[in-house]
Amino acid sequence: MDLSRRDFVKTAAAGSLALGASGLLSACGINARTVADVVHRVPGARKRGGTLRAAITGGSSADTLDPLSAVSNADFSRVNNLYEPLLGLTPDAQPMFVLADELTPNATATEWTLRLKSGITFHNGKPLTADDVIYTFRTVLNPKAPAAAAAGLASIDAAAMTKLDPLTVRIPCKTPFATLLQALAIPTYSDIIPAGYNPAAPVGTGPFKLQSFTPGTQSTFVRYDGYWQTGLPYLDEVVITDYSDATSQVNALLAGEVDVVNLLSADVIAVVESQGKNILISKGGGWNPFTMRVDVAPFNDRRVRQAMRLVVDRPQMLEILFGGHGTIGNDVFGIWASDYDHSLPQRHQDIDQAKSLLKAAGHEGLAVQLVSSDIGQGTIQAAEVLAQQASAAGIKINVSQVTVTDFFGTSYLKWVFAQDYWYFNFYLPQVSLATLPTSPFNECHFDNPAYDSLYQQAIATIDESKRQELAYEMQKIDYTDGGYIIPFFPPVIDGYGANVNGLIPSKGGLSLNAYDFKQLWLS
Amino acid sequence: MADVTAPAPIAPAARAPKAHPFRDVLVKRLGFGILTLFIVSILVFAATQVLPGNAASAALQNTATPARLHALEIQMHLNRSAVAQYWSWLTGLLHGNFGTSIVNNASVSSLIGGRVLNTAVLMLLAGVIGTVIGVVLGMLAAARRDSWFDHGLSVIALAVTALPEFVVAMALVTFFAALVWHILPAVSVYPPGVSPWSIPSLLVLPVATLVIVIVPYTFRMMRAAMIDALESDYVEMAKLKGMSRWRVLAVHALPNAIAPTIQVIGLNFLYLAGGVVVVEYVFNYPGLGQALVNAVSDRDIPVIQFIVLLLAAFYVVVNIATDLISLAATPRRRLPRS
Repeated sequence: MDLSRRDFVKTAAAGSLALGASGLLSACGINARTVADVVHRVPGARKRGGTLRAAITGGSSADTLDPLSAVSNADFSRVNNLYEPLLGLTPDAQPMFVLADELTPNATATEWTLRLKSGITFHNGKPLTADDVIYTFRTVLNPKAPAAAAAGLASIDAAAMTKLDPLTVRIPCKTPFATLLQALAIPTYSDIIPAGYNPAAPVGTGPFKLQSFTPGTQSTFVRYDGYWQTGLPYLDEVVITDYSDATSQVNALLAGEVDVVNLLSADVIAVVESQGKNILISKGGGWNPFTMRVDVAPFNDRRVRQAMRLVVDRPQMLEILFGGHGTIGNDVFGIWASDYDHSLPQRHQDIDQAKSLLKAAGHEGLAVQLVSSDIGQGTIQAAEVLAQQASAAGIKINVSQVTVTDFFGTSYLKWVFAQDYWYFNFYLPQVSLATLPTSPFNECHFDNPAYDSLYQQAIATIDESKRQELAYEMQKIDYTDGGYIIPFFPPVIDGYGANVNGLIPSKGGLSLNAYDFKQLWLS
Repeated sequence: MADVTAPAPIAPAARAPKAHPFRDVLVKRLGFGILTLFIVSILVFAATQVLPGNAASAALQNTATPARLHALEIQMHLNRSAVAQYWSWLTGLLHGNFGTSIVNNASVSSLIGGRVLNTAVLMLLAGVIGTVIGVVLGMLAAARRDSWFDHGLSVIALAVTALPEFVVAMALVTFFAALVWHILPAVSVYPPGVSPWSIPSLLVLPVATLVIVIVPYTFRMMRAAMIDALESDYVEMAKLKGMSRWRVLAVHALPNAIAPTIQVIGLNFLYLAGGVVVVEYVFNYPGLGQALVNAVSDRDIPVIQFIVLLLAAFYVVVNIATDLISLAATPRRRLPRS
């Protein structure tokens, strides 16, 4: 099946995605899209050569080139050009094979067999083999120094991984892991580093190789002539400069000093376009939720949580924060995943019902403190809008603003009522990270035995339609009982010069073709 | 002529108690300065300990699991006591070692060295240009007191002092770089390792911003001091002797008006040490201010310590220099108090 991107957006916007996208990924995942399907989507003749100058916010002197520690947008912009994952995301946020050629589970989902594409080399000329995959997973899952992806891949038994032949790896799992294929497709989660990786002289298989790197300042990359995808990349060089301020980023774009800028606010769309530059708006699947701890008062009463969800005027919030761009949320995460339940009724603002729920719970005139921080797009504004909207139901929200470092400091995951930001993830892998008692980032302290048992069944179910039914059941619990308020999925707004070609909207939540610059060319 | 030589014998007599005003001021102030720096280093270190979170949680952000935090804290040596961390930093400093960044393991001097230079160039250029413009305009306004020129400048100076530096910077960028004319760079991004003077066009707007911000203060002080001087008896005398207008201004009034103005110039330099933070931020200029903002959000304590101490040392040095120059410009203050 093939669904054009425009149709896809329309269908999704109408809230009736149905099973459209699920056909992209069969039960075994063998039909996950291949790179060739999504390359060359933009018509027109390509021009080779030139230097792309990117102004990227989010970096600091903690910048890294190690894909296993990448945290910020500045990190992603570098590692997504240096390295490649086993699986990635299509622009429609569906799993796509990159370095992997095939990934097949056994009947109980306790063991997967991975086959790599052949003829792929690292920047130092060394061919990509099963050894590199095993080395990468053992590094990621090193119990003494686990990498960022370790939380999502914890059930892989890295020590027991074996090489079946130079391109084939057996991946045993400690517990059933039917969603491995989806979990690996999340940006940087399956980036492959060569065996014996040296962070001081980093090499990957990506379209660009490193030329220079100064943390917090600038990095330069040049095309890798031995790149396995014939004809790519088009650019000769990429210069990525860290910007601390969005205003100077826009100024640099308007003055023609940079070619692409990431993560703009909706306020600047008009001025950027009036100056002959372009805006790229993606319906990102990332989400910036409000988090209510379900184990402490007042949010331990589900009527209070429901009331909080009912006071939100979601379209108004989206309008104020992002000029109406983005997607309205329904308090359930994983919006572009094939197992996201679009049939749950859209929650609308209902002040009367919120008031009566609060009254029944004995919390009339509720006063709560909301810890907010500039951690994601529009988070602080969202907190202020929520406080305003909640006052209609007699709820007094006192917004306490802290710095990003304070937010993720000692109280992170302990705030009673706060916010967070997440990149797009598929539904069940996201559950494993956030809403199980065993989840490393269970910020709502959610603990629901029925939900857990559904998850345990789902994670052991290879059949996709059965797994989807289980996921739908779980989403009903998220919808009625969960601790998250998910009013919106923020848009990703990027800017680019008139000379830049090849940018297309992508739903994975990362800017600028998910910072994959190999398909960009300059005219 | 007799009255010209008459004071001569008095001077050695008055200096009989072997007064060394410059040396005395210098020694005393330097001693206090070093003590100040020591106290600042303790305060800054204590402040970094009070802040929630550490370099490990700052680096991991929302990917921080207890296992990852623990591993990184050990790797960053954050598991030592606060006193041990401070002590190893202090002993390192006394051996000329400014420490190592917790965050990326590079030596602080290699990380910050280039940025010190960049910020110094920015401050020095802005300080010198701003001082010259302020002094000259102040002189001219005083010389043409109550003319349209004087009134116009005074009003503009008053208006500009009300503008925060980021407003000035944004206005300059809007007019000269981003929207109206595209004749100057909107941001001042230097590739790492490139010295600021190798691409002078990138310095124009940041320096212009700082100059615009500091000129009014120098101008107003200079104008007031100059008007005082011009109303004095010796200037009256010089005029009566038939000296040219410019000779009266430059040789007789200026040296007396400059002493109070030096204090303001010193204050301007001190302001620049803080004002560059905003300007560096707006222009993405790779200087100390930007590095400090980064280091604080990264909780990179050795870098924070180094930059804050450097800025504190700059305050101490400028204060001492200001006093010494005022002393030089005010001969009667060099006489011992009787």
